[in-house]
Amino acid sequence: MRYHPLTILYQIYQLIRNSIILALLLFVWKRGSDFWLFEYGRYIFVLSVLYQFLHIFFNWWTRKYEVKNQSFYLESGVWTKKNQTIPFSKVQNVRREKSFFHALLGLTSLTFETAMDGDDDSIVFEVLTKEQAAQLIDLVEVGEEKVEIAEEKVVEESSGVVKEMVDEDNELDNRTIHFQSSNKDLIKASFTSLSFLALIPILSGLYENLQPFLPDDEKVQGMLEKILNNQWFLLTVLILAVMISVVVGMLRTMIRYGKFEISSNDTHIFIQRGVLEETYFSIEKKKVQALEVKQTMLKRVFGLAEVKLISTAKTSDDGVEVDVNSLYPFLPIDKAMQLVSQILPSYTLSTREMQKLPKMSLWMRIIRPSWLWIGTFIGLYFFKPSLFGVEEAWWIIAILVFIWLNASSVLDYYHTSFGVDKDQFQFRNGGFSTRLFISKRSKIIELTVSRNWLQRKWGMGSISTTNRSTPVHVETIDDLPQAFIKQFHQWYYERQKYVQYDRNESKRLEIWQLLDVEK
Amino acid sequence: MVDHSLPGKISEKAPKVWRMTELISDLIGIIILAVIFFLDAYFDWVYWIGWILIALTIVLVLGSIWGVIEPDLLYKSWYFKVDEEFFQIKKGIWKEQWVTIPMTKIQGVSTTQGPILRRYQLRSITVETMGSSYSIPALEELVAYELRDNIAEYAKIKEVEQT
Repeated sequence: MRYHPLTILYQIYQLIRNSIILALLLFVWKRGSDFWLFEYGRYIFVLSVLYQFLHIFFNWWTRKYEVKNQSFYLESGVWTKKNQTIPFSKVQNVRREKSFFHALLGLTSLTFETAMDGDDDSIVFEVLTKEQAAQLIDLVEVGEEKVEIAEEKVVEESSGVVKEMVDEDNELDNRTIHFQSSNKDLIKASFTSLSFLALIPILSGLYENLQPFLPDDEKVQGMLEKILNNQWFLLTVLILAVMISVVVGMLRTMIRYGKFEISSNDTHIFIQRGVLEETYFSIEKKKVQALEVKQTMLKRVFGLAEVKLISTAKTSDDGVEVDVNSLYPFLPIDKAMQLVSQILPSYTLSTREMQKLPKMSLWMRIIRPSWLWIGTFIGLYFFKPSLFGVEEAWWIIAILVFIWLNASSVLDYYHTSFGVDKDQFQFRNGGFSTRLFISKRSKIIELTVSRNWLQRKWGMGSISTTNRSTPVHVETIDDLPQAFIKQFHQWYYERQKYVQYDRNESKRLEIWQLLDVEK
Repeated sequence: MVDHSLPGKISEKAPKVWRMTELISDLIGIIILAVIFFLDAYFDWVYWIGWILIALTIVLVLGSIWGVIEPDLLYKSWYFKVDEEFFQIKKGIWKEQWVTIPMTKIQGVSTTQGPILRRYQLRSITVETMGSSYSIPALEELVAYELRDNIAEYAKIKEVEQT
């Protein structure tokens, strides 16, 4: 089956969007320039756009997909043919995004991400009708469970009890909605994210970028001077600018986080958000590798927190500015905890069992040379920048950075706590902004305990755990007491007692048995 | 209580191998430095280049002294253990590192041999996980092959994903 024909239109739209600036530069602003870069650039530009234009058509013509036997069969390649088979079980998460283009035509895009390494690790449908998307999502999301049930069904059918199974089938789709953003949440969100302040650098950046193209630099300058001379006018302009940025900031937050909805069923978690540009994200619960609760200083003041699911989902993709893994980033902390216990009942969030660092660790933190500070100091010493006409500014900056870094590490000492509870472990750390990290024993793919010379003398050590993600997520806690390290190591060894092995399916292992590499 | 000691030791010839490698790289360093010193004198470069060259020479001398002491200490600090459940290595002179990897999380294993290792009939083993790779640097050839095959066998098993 070929992809939706409107994929062509979408790709052309993207091509235009990506090349419009270059086109304007080459053919409008620098029209008269006979500088060689522009001269030949024009030819190369036309040729490359033409090539890409044709490529879009051929690409659409040659790319095919098929859905059968619980797998995707993909065929692609204009010059060299390529066939791929990806079983549904390899899909880690589903993402549906509706950009402005899609919204306009009542369409949507769909991405199935797998955990394979390499470029072709996801199945992308750039344009799909809503019905097609819903159908595909249904197929994949229920994937494994449905197979089992379907098999049961066959058995049951022979014994004549079919009706019950149908009911159960419906039950699978029973989603519970855990959170829906209200207007109050949105206002809070736009204030704590301070997104309206973002307008200032954007505008000044825009001005700087556009300066070479603006018609008369002097005219603009003259206008600015006039504005600066008239104080009342300036005040009005300032107030207006602040008001506009507040409104724009709120709109931005509204577009990104509006209509936020978190729901789940027995096996999956669903996150949906956005007003004009919609995003839908779903992940199987057992594919969540860890949880992270983040609080910046401002969020701590407001009692808000961001909960992130750590999984193999790519965190940033072109066009998507918001982290897909993030549950609502502006949840009240108790609400966040409640939400986690609802959608991931196997995780228990409690801070009662957690231990604090011993006093010695504070000394360790203060003694530890800060490479960042040494680096800044050397840099400042060599360049000796003067700030606001103050010659000695460089060592003032050095001292300020020193105080900042030390305050951060002292705060980190007070914020750090850690604990192990059954098959779960939690770490909390952070200076000015804090984070709580929670994962399961079975999800740690690597454990490293390290002790430097001083840590050995003082009976301390550092623990690093590695979790699956793209790229892997490494969590390090420094200067833990030896007793806890021993306990943690022991706890990790005991994983073997609880892990279930899949004896039927063995892993594809890349052993270069015969290929002894000679270096 | 699980036994926490790691019984595996790398080959006794390891310090020799490391010293040899160190010697070769030192020689290359000396040759390069000598050439630059010669060029400096010949073309009469700016004065501070001379200072940098002297600093580099000091670093090289200190480095090669350390290169004589380090191999024995590193050898003493090196331990490993491979069983059905875990791949473990422990090493480091100043900063001691103890890495524990469940066998089921290993993605690949290979043996390598460079010209120096070949002279001593040694091989190194490299184990790859999702995020990184770890090597056991010098093992007797037969030991290395056996260990590699064992790791390959243990690592084939897959775990069931749990919530």
